[in-house]
Amino acid sequence: MIKKRKSLWRRLKENKVAQGVSSVLLPILFGVLILALWQGQVLHKIFNTDTNTLPLPSRICHIIIDNIPAFAQNALYTLLVAVIGLVVGSIIGYLIAVFAATFQKWGKGGLTIVGAFNAIPIVALAPVMTNWTKDISNDPNIRSMFAKTLVVMIVCIASMSINAFRGLTELKPFALDLMKSYAAKKSTVFFKLRLPNSVPYVFTALRVSVPISIISAVVSEYFAEYIVGVGREIRENIVLGQYPTAWAYIVVACLIGLVMYGVLMLVESIVLKNRRIK
Amino acid sequence: MNLNSEAIKKNDVEIAINNVSVVFKDNQGNDVKALDNIDFDIHKGEFISLLGPSGCGKTTLLRTIADLLEPTSGNVRVSNMTPKEIRLMQKFGIVFQNPVLFEWRTVKKNIELPLEIMGYSKKDRSDRADEMLEMVGLTKFADHYPQQLSGGMQQRVGIARAFGIRPEILLMDEPFSALDEFTKEKLHLDLLKIWEKTNKTIVFVTHNIQEAVFLSTRICVLSPHPGRLSAVVDADLPYPRTIDMRDTPHFGELVSKVRNSFEGGSL
Repeated sequence: MIKKRKSLWRRLKENKVAQGVSSVLLPILFGVLILALWQGQVLHKIFNTDTNTLPLPSRICHIIIDNIPAFAQNALYTLLVAVIGLVVGSIIGYLIAVFAATFQKWGKGGLTIVGAFNAIPIVALAPVMTNWTKDISNDPNIRSMFAKTLVVMIVCIASMSINAFRGLTELKPFALDLMKSYAAKKSTVFFKLRLPNSVPYVFTALRVSVPISIISAVVSEYFAEYIVGVGREIRENIVLGQYPTAWAYIVVACLIGLVMYGVLMLVESIVLKNRRIK
Repeated sequence: MNLNSEAIKKNDVEIAINNVSVVFKDNQGNDVKALDNIDFDIHKGEFISLLGPSGCGKTTLLRTIADLLEPTSGNVRVSNMTPKEIRLMQKFGIVFQNPVLFEWRTVKKNIELPLEIMGYSKKDRSDRADEMLEMVGLTKFADHYPQQLSGGMQQRVGIARAFGIRPEILLMDEPFSALDEFTKEKLHLDLLKIWEKTNKTIVFVTHNIQEAVFLSTRICVLSPHPGRLSAVVDADLPYPRTIDMRDTPHFGELVSKVRNSFEGGSL
């Protein structure tokens, strides 16, 4: 009797446990490997560098732990800029999408303009915003926070408005006919069809916006007037040649990004739970 | 109750289609006649099939009845009113080619959707939805989400939703065309059972001759280019209809009669 056996690779691919292992364990193993090569100074040999320019992971950890209050304060400011900019920008972006979906004749053209904002580099936007907002308050900290948040906001508007517009208008075939046959009002169509239909698209936008909001917050801090925030500390410490501290802030910036993305994934898995079940 | 076409009173006109023509513009801006001077009446309680190949305008005709499309000339009257008035009175139940269920609502909530729009109380909505779920045999799946159901079950939810508003007229646009033969056969029997129980007028669009003969009291045969009414055939099989009727000589005769009434070449 000839029994055809599936190849090992094929069986591994179809096995759920194996899939879990490969999607969680492998990245972790890779991370641990890099850390080990780093701590063991193998990376330094490969890149021909020293432990001052590329400090050891243990050193970076020590710096963070020894200066928790300073790191926490800077991280808090960066987080505030990123989150407020993200939330306000996303809300404005969604409202633009609602407007564009309501008046589709002009709306589509308007969205193209908003989309063009996406092409403006943050590095260019940040000094401009700092300049524009210099009369907003006498407190340089408030002025700077405003300028930085504005940069994050502008960057987040575009991705939200474009995705949300698709969510509000790309409806299932016959969905509008169905609502029309019930003599549904425009507002009913919006709340019972368009709005719920747009929810997954909102998360698509946020998956893009969340990492971008951190990057823009950090970059806009470089150009801000008031010296605070993770991004600014990276810059200041590099200027002063304090690479280990700069690296410690780079790690903190990464952690902020990871935590925000993790929170987003968690919220998404709860909100979209029922749509994903098959 | 025997719902033969003779049993339906001829003077009880529910839908009057008066010289309806529909002209579309194609990509080059030329006029394309989708429907050419369609003129016939549908009686109360009838199960009418609009049968024809693609391009014959059967869906277009259904959409003019539903007030989803305005005829270019001629008019449709439903219970002596305009389709728009009937639509605004929420008396049409429509089942489309795909079930159009909202994936963020459970099966039961999908059936309640039109009732919500019509302002029914929570209890009334729930009671009506339960009743409809029982009718289509999906009580056990009330709290499932549509994406958890098979295509046939989804279409049954669509039918339950359409009947849930107790429509005067049920308009069905190739509702079973995407389903396999076994599911289709079962849904045919289900639909006939519901129709005999509720005594609604059904207008059923299909391109399947056997399906039209099996279900309908009368079949409107439409021919394409331009879409026009070629014949109206009485499908005088007795009700309730059973699967084995499909094997009778009379069923075969009706199928050939319908097939021969198409214009513009053999099919």
